[in-house]
Amino acid sequence: MSLLLRRTVASLCLSVFFLTSTAYAGGSMDWGKKIAEEGNGSPGSVACMECHRLNGGGMPSIGSPRIAGQTAFYIEHEILGVQKGTRYAPVMAGVVQNLSKSDIRAVALYYAGVRTPKLPDVSPPDPALVALGKHIAQKGLWKKNVPACVLCHGPNGRGIPPHFPYIEGQNKGYLLRQLVSFAFLKRKDDPQGLMRGISRRLTQRERKAVAEYFASLNPPATSSHKK
Amino acid sequence: MKIGPTLLVLASGLILFSGSRGLASPALAQEPATFQPPSDSEIPSDPFGNLVRKGERIFTQTRTYAGKYVGNDLTCESCHLDRGRKPYAAPLWGAYVSYPRFRSKNHKVSRLGERIQGCFRFSMNGTPPPLDSDIIRSLVAYSFWMSRGAPVGVKLAGARMYKMPPPHRTPDPFRGKKVYAAKCALCHGADGLGTTSGHDVAFPPVWGPRSYNMGAGLAKVSKLAGFVKMNMPLSKGSSLTDQQSWDVAAYVDSQPRPADPRKRQ
Repeated sequence: MSLLLRRTVASLCLSVFFLTSTAYAGGSMDWGKKIAEEGNGSPGSVACMECHRLNGGGMPSIGSPRIAGQTAFYIEHEILGVQKGTRYAPVMAGVVQNLSKSDIRAVALYYAGVRTPKLPDVSPPDPALVALGKHIAQKGLWKKNVPACVLCHGPNGRGIPPHFPYIEGQNKGYLLRQLVSFAFLKRKDDPQGLMRGISRRLTQRERKAVAEYFASLNPPATSSHKK
Repeated sequence: MKIGPTLLVLASGLILFSGSRGLASPALAQEPATFQPPSDSEIPSDPFGNLVRKGERIFTQTRTYAGKYVGNDLTCESCHLDRGRKPYAAPLWGAYVSYPRFRSKNHKVSRLGERIQGCFRFSMNGTPPPLDSDIIRSLVAYSFWMSRGAPVGVKLAGARMYKMPPPHRTPDPFRGKKVYAAKCALCHGADGLGTTSGHDVAFPPVWGPRSYNMGAGLAKVSKLAGFVKMNMPLSKGSSLTDQQSWDVAAYVDSQPRPADPRKRQ
């Protein structure tokens, strides 16, 4: 009896030691970086950097978002949303299925901490759309009950942590796709359905204009980097 | 052939019915259309237009352009939404045509300039700029320009704050706290102290040392309830029930904030 008990205690101690040590590594930025670079090692796992790059610049050509410097809270929330299916993301859905909660936390911390300059977008900004987008972004379309974007996304869209992501300098393909997803598809992870309501009330041209405007700006992380 | 006339009668009845409904519904369900202020592009490019634009800058970036007189983290636009245009958020087009007016607050007939001084003293918890200062002059000019075409002395829909019908149940801060947590804390913070973006105030504090003082209009539960009902959460006005609006207003106004300056001496 006592031998069995001792064995159990010993193995428990060992496993606690083992667990805490991996948990320690799992919570660190290094583990997050490793996931970003090569996935978490589970069969079929995909490296985040294949679409978001190692420094989080994203890939404008396929509308993969820039995530460098987005808050860890927000990144974690979004990945969990993709797993749960509350955030419409057909590509990401397959990729994040194998990530554990601590994997997600680690990779969110990693990308929240990296900085990278803006990558060239797929086309130069269209001046007419930028002008319309700027009006909606800075002043709103209150006749349609659309407040200025910057009221919730911060001055010039630099974000209001932790709930409201930065959209300043995000690529236009991603921005437009999210607005469309909020309006018509199954992105429903926005708090209180705020974005779903707002995006539905915009016309497609207005959605495009807003995307074009924010994509024409410099992302907040690099501008603070320059100072 | 036989059922022809019957169908015809039925059909005409339907048309009549739907027609009368169509005619009746706007009068029944909708308030008179609110006043449409002129658009930005119509501000003239002359000295008057410059004053109007200056008024708008003070209105939206009050701390930057009138910082000396501001004692908290609010701007004019914190309450007068859409740069002072939004109906039921005390729009400036409604203000200009409503003054001079007797106010029970101080038992005086106030001019618009004096009323704006009150905003600085109570809602901005600061000091009133002099009546003949550039600040008051620009804000009055901005208000004047925005009211272009509005009838003077006539009640316009949405020209002031929304007056709530009396609550069914006594407004309860404890119920209100739950509403606040579910609907308001996202932006104004669970502690009510607002949210920042970098060094800038993003969402205004709704209580605490940097919010409006006890003498402000919104420190009255009925006023705040009306504001919340029509305007909050942003883009989702009228989504709270009347009772929820009363309760959350009772909660917010039960929280600590700077004293009424009239009672500080």
